[in-house]
Amino acid sequence: MTFTQECVIPVERERLWDFLMDVPKVARCVPGVETVETLGASVYKGSLRVQVGPIRLSLQGTMTVEEQDRAAWQARMRAEANDRRVGGGIRARMSLTLAPGLGGTRLHIETDLAILGRIGEFGQPVIKKKADAFLDEFARNLGAALAA
Amino acid sequence: MNAFEYAAPRTLDEALAVLREHGDEARVIAGGTALVTMMRQRLVRPSYLVSLREIPGLDRIEAANGGVRIGALVTHREVETSPLVRERIPVLAETFHRVASVRIRHMATVGGALAHADPNQDPPVTLIALGARVEIRGAGGRRELPVELFFRDYYESSLEPGEVVIAVVVPQFPAASGAAYVKFLPRTADDYATVAVAATVSLEADGERCRAARIALGSVGITPIRAQSAEALMAGQRFGAEMLKAARESVKSAVDPLTDHRGSAAYKREMAAVIAGRALTQAWDAARASARGTR
Repeated sequence: MTFTQECVIPVERERLWDFLMDVPKVARCVPGVETVETLGASVYKGSLRVQVGPIRLSLQGTMTVEEQDRAAWQARMRAEANDRRVGGGIRARMSLTLAPGLGGTRLHIETDLAILGRIGEFGQPVIKKKADAFLDEFARNLGAALAA
Repeated sequence: MNAFEYAAPRTLDEALAVLREHGDEARVIAGGTALVTMMRQRLVRPSYLVSLREIPGLDRIEAANGGVRIGALVTHREVETSPLVRERIPVLAETFHRVASVRIRHMATVGGALAHADPNQDPPVTLIALGARVEIRGAGGRRELPVELFFRDYYESSLEPGEVVIAVVVPQFPAASGAAYVKFLPRTADDYATVAVAATVSLEADGERCRAARIALGSVGITPIRAQSAEALMAGQRFGAEMLKAARESVKSAVDPLTDHRGSAAYKREMAAVIAGRALTQAWDAARASARGTR
């Protein structure tokens, strides 16, 4: 499943870029992230808690930053995570682009997401809507972190 | 399925105390049709199950102020076949008749289904159109909510931790009124609806103009949806193609379907309008017949 999302963060592009490329820092703005650990130059390990209705997922996995192109204001990353208890996981490829926007910087995110196993059967239809709520919260957290 | 402790307290207060003690780890079980399936799939793994079955008084259908009060443990089959429900609010019996299969209807309870908050269920749609209220008990006491405010998100209700649904109260069905539940079911008879619509229409004393209408839809959003702007358009109107078209268009903007194997969001939006038109037509016909009968 692929989807495109956008939000405007009220800071200039350079500052947003630097913040977004500092993965442990930006992870604190991602709703549900519990731990982040640096494994290598652009590889990170972490855990994320997500709740959809009665189902609570505790996803453990890795994220790799595959490309950071500051000249084009574009970055690409790949994430893989599994929930051992429920059985299932996610695979995601994301592409981030920063552009000047009204009152700040427009953050454009393209996601290609696969939800595997049992959680997919239940969660698939609602993922897009959850993803929008997720981005709203991320954008708010990002704005607050950058304002501080 | 994971191992769990099972408690079957004999009073509601005891059940609430157990829920308070075990917090997040405890789940209420009634008919088990939803919870056990999720436990089998290991989507939920409660370490404590609190059954409500031994608590007396939760399994009754009673007459209440011209309407009915249905206890949380009443099964879908009991609502479907209840002489009291059939006499006072036939559309409710008809709606419960449309749920899944008879085996599931014998197990699934009214309160359990509400608490499960699955947006594809049949009963909440009709309950919203009928203006029903949910009775809730928790440590803090008792409260009531209109059914349409009870659902908050995909499989999420307004129940606070430690709260339990104890009944649903359906008000008296007004005179000169009609109701209909239309379930669009293109696959199998026991499937979830692709779109479901319940409508009620109450007519003015002239038996022609709409005094009030209520329209509720299921399977076209993350919760059941009440189409209030479409309802408002109908007030004071006479039945006709123009009115129906306006209501149908308004319904399209009220829904927010999810794309799944039953169809795309765009298809379901179109079908929501079509099915709403049919439900309104049926409800209006029934209201006219009722108005003729009472004059």
